[in-house]
Formats: sequence, C-alpha cells, structure tokens
Amino acid sequence: MHISVLLYLWNAIYKDEQSLGNYSLSDLITYYVLQLLINGMVLSYISWQIGTEIREGSFSNYLVRPLNYLHYWFMINLSGKLFEGLLISVVGLIMAGLLMEHISLPTNFVTILHFALAMILAGILAFEFDFAIGILAFWLVQIDSFKYMLQYGMFFLAGALLPLDLFPALFQQIAHALPFRFMVYFPIQIFLGKETQPYEGFAIAGIWIIALYFVLRFGLKRGIAHYEAVGK
Amino acid sequence: MQKTLWRYFALYRSFFSHNLKNEMIYRANFVINIGLDIFFTLVNVIFFAILYGNIETVGGWTFHQTLIIVGSVGIIRELAYLTFRKGFLELGEYVRTGNFDVMLTAPMNTAAHLAFRHVSLTESLGEGLMGLILVGYGFAHLDAATWISIPFYLLMLINSLVMYYGFCLMVSSLVFWLIKSQELNTMIYYFMNTARYPRDIYHGLGKVFFTFLIPSSLIATTPATILTGKVDADLIALSVLVAIGLLTLGLFTWTKSLNHYGSASS
Repeated sequence: MHISVLLYLWNAIYKDEQSLGNYSLSDLITYYVLQLLINGMVLSYISWQIGTEIREGSFSNYLVRPLNYLHYWFMINLSGKLFEGLLISVVGLIMAGLLMEHISLPTNFVTILHFALAMILAGILAFEFDFAIGILAFWLVQIDSFKYMLQYGMFFLAGALLPLDLFPALFQQIAHALPFRFMVYFPIQIFLGKETQPYEGFAIAGIWIIALYFVLRFGLKRGIAHYEAVGK
Repeated sequence: MQKTLWRYFALYRSFFSHNLKNEMIYRANFVINIGLDIFFTLVNVIFFAILYGNIETVGGWTFHQTLIIVGSVGIIRELAYLTFRKGFLELGEYVRTGNFDVMLTAPMNTAAHLAFRHVSLTESLGEGLMGLILVGYGFAHLDAATWISIPFYLLMLINSLVMYYGFCLMVSSLVFWLIKSQELNTMIYYFMNTARYPRDIYHGLGKVFFTFLIPSSLIATTPATILTGKVDADLIALSVLVAIGLLTLGLFTWTKSLNHYGSASS
C-alpha cells in the first residue's frame, strides 16, 4: 500500500516536469521496488527476539550449550532471509512485471554479479548491526522504543526512505562516511549503474564486516559477564 | 435527547479521568512515548524537507503547505485517541477472550462503550503536539494565510474525525469474523500514514480507490486546503459526503456484525 502511494508521488512530481537529482522516473521506481526486495532479503529484525531472550532470562540456555550465540543467530537469520527472500522475489517479480516499462534493468552481466555480491555484503552487515542493537539488552532492560529509533535512524541513513544523493551536501557526506549505506543504497546504485567505484565499496564494506565481527564478539563477552539471568 | 447527551458526557469524563490516572502512574513510559512520537514526526518532516530540497512543488503543494497536511494527520490521530481509537485496537482481544460480553451487557451503547473504555490523552500526545507546531509553522510561512479560515479548518478536522471513525467501524466489524485484529489495525495505521501526501498526486483509478474505498486522500488534505487558501467547494462537499457515507456504512456493518459475535467459553 505504501509503495503504491509512493509511485503516485513520483509520478506526480515527474509529470510536473520536475526531477529528483539525476534520477529518471524509471530509476526512482526501480529504486523503490529494489528497496522492497532488500527489506525482505537483507534487512534483519532478529534484535527483537534477542532482546526478549536476554530480558526474560531464556538466554541462560545458551550459556550451557557448546555454541556461539553470534554464529547461532547468524544462521537463523540467514535461513529466515533466504526463505523470506524467496517469497519477496515472487512479489518483486510480479511488481516488476506490472511496471515493466518503468523498470531500469542492468545491461551487462558484470553489473548483476556486482549487485549479487553487494546484496550478500549488505545482508551480513545488516545482521551485524541488528545483532549489536539486540545485545544492548544486556545493559538496558527496557529498550523497545530506543531500538525503534535506532533501527529507523539506521534505515534512514542507509537510504531506505530516500536515495542518499538527494540529501543536502553536508548530510550526504555524513551518510557516505557511515557504513549504513552499504545495506540499501550501495546495492541499488550498482543495479542502476550509478556506482562509479564498486570495488572500493566492496573493500570498505568488507573491512566494516570484519571489524564489526570482532566488536560484536567482544561486546557479547562483556554482555555475558554483565548478564543477570533474570528468573532463573 | 439532551439528557442522554449529558449522561454520555459524564460517562466520558469519568472514563477519561480514570484512564489518565492510570497512564500517569508510569511516568517514564509517558516520557518515552512522547519522545518516540516526536522522533517519528521529525523523520517525516526530514523526508519532506529533503524531497523539497530537490523540487519546488508536489502536486501543486509547497513545502510549508505540505507541513500543514503532515501536522493535520498528527492532530487527527490525537483527537482519535482522545475519543475512540484505542477501543478498536483492543477489540480483537475482547472478542477473542469473550470479554466483549461486558460491553454488550453494560447499560450503555456498545459502540460508545468500546470507544470510551480506553480514551487516551498521552498515547499519541507527542504526535498531536508536533502536529500543532507543524500546522502553526506552516501557517506562519504562507502567503495567503487568513485568520478567518481557522474555525473552518477546525470544522473540517471534525469532519475528518467522523470519516476516521466510520472507517474504523467498517474495518473493525471484520473482527467478529476473523477474531484477530492485528492485520486490521495495521491497515488502519497505514491508512493514516499515507494520508500525509497531498490528494493531488493521485489520478485515475488510484484517485477513486483512495477517495471512496480508503479515504486517505481526503482525511488530511481537505482540512489543509482551507488553511492554505486552496479552498474548493466541491472537495469539501465530497469530504462531507464521504464522511457521512462511511459513518452510515460503518454503523450498518457494525450492527450486523454484532449479531455474529459468538462470545467465548461462557
């Protein structure tokens, strides 16, 4: 429902012979169809369950099991995203079919490969950030509202609501320096053939993924030391 | 007639003060609720600010005019929470557990009881206050602003509230068949969320859909046209008709649906 309203919005803007940045109407529509796909396939929402497990004490069960909580949730998230990705692809294909004349498709095979790689990196990064929000529950007990804000702010800076290059110059620089753009904006830019430095992007995203992995391991360790095992 | 009206006014007052006391016990929650509302309203404003950084108008609406629409959505939401919204949010639970029996047997109109049972001042207060600020800010930056339009704006807000109520009644009547209300509530939520965009962006089938089936193109845009000097008698007439139509239809489906209520375990 929301996306159909947005399509009307873009249509109305372009009908008045205005344009947003260097996006054509087709680019913009493609952007939002892809954003829908990414929301299903990439963006992670497991922090809600992690928060509940920690808050209600069922996290204790994991302490006595020979498994790494981080890896465990990574696999759960992966399977969930693969399944959801399959479902959302069907929806996406139907939408793309309906909007056929308004979809900008990549013209060469390399772009598609780049896009696939960017999506994988985006998925891992999105998981890591969401996991980080989840384990905040070790220190902050009631954080649902705070989490909403963090998640929403993150998605905003990822380019989920509006393409980042439409932001005012200063905010563009900030958003460009932050890693959130790799979750939404970067893969879509590749798909649209607007990304001029894909390899540099892959490298930076890769470094963030590795760095965050160590931060999360450390955070998890500190969190467990801080853990109070409520109700057990 | 007058006596019944007074009685319902007194009932509303006692429900209101009871609920307000309940809400004020949890002070931290109250503050967080407001903070969250303000945050999300700000995100919406930033969305439009960025959009208008790239273009001049959307469907003929300038940035400040659009702020009046966004603000109106906030005000209507708060008014709805003050009168009926929470009851519909909880209806699914009442029906599922059979607690709805209480509403049917109480010496008070069932729809009114459901509406007043949980009137809430604070649930959407942040968005309501932000709405007032946005409308005020937008209004102060208009070229064609006239003070005389304010009472008419308020009248159209009430009309929108009626429209909202009719829509809620109609959609929520389905609860008696589905027993679950989660999806219906989400739908009502999105209905109000998409009301932020000016009506003029729609054309063709979409316009018909978002006017008669889901009136999200009318509910906030119509009041906003009055403040922004875009007054259009046809649009006002259409809004009033849709509000009356939805209310009638809503009351009809509601009464019909009550007969389908099967209670639970009692």
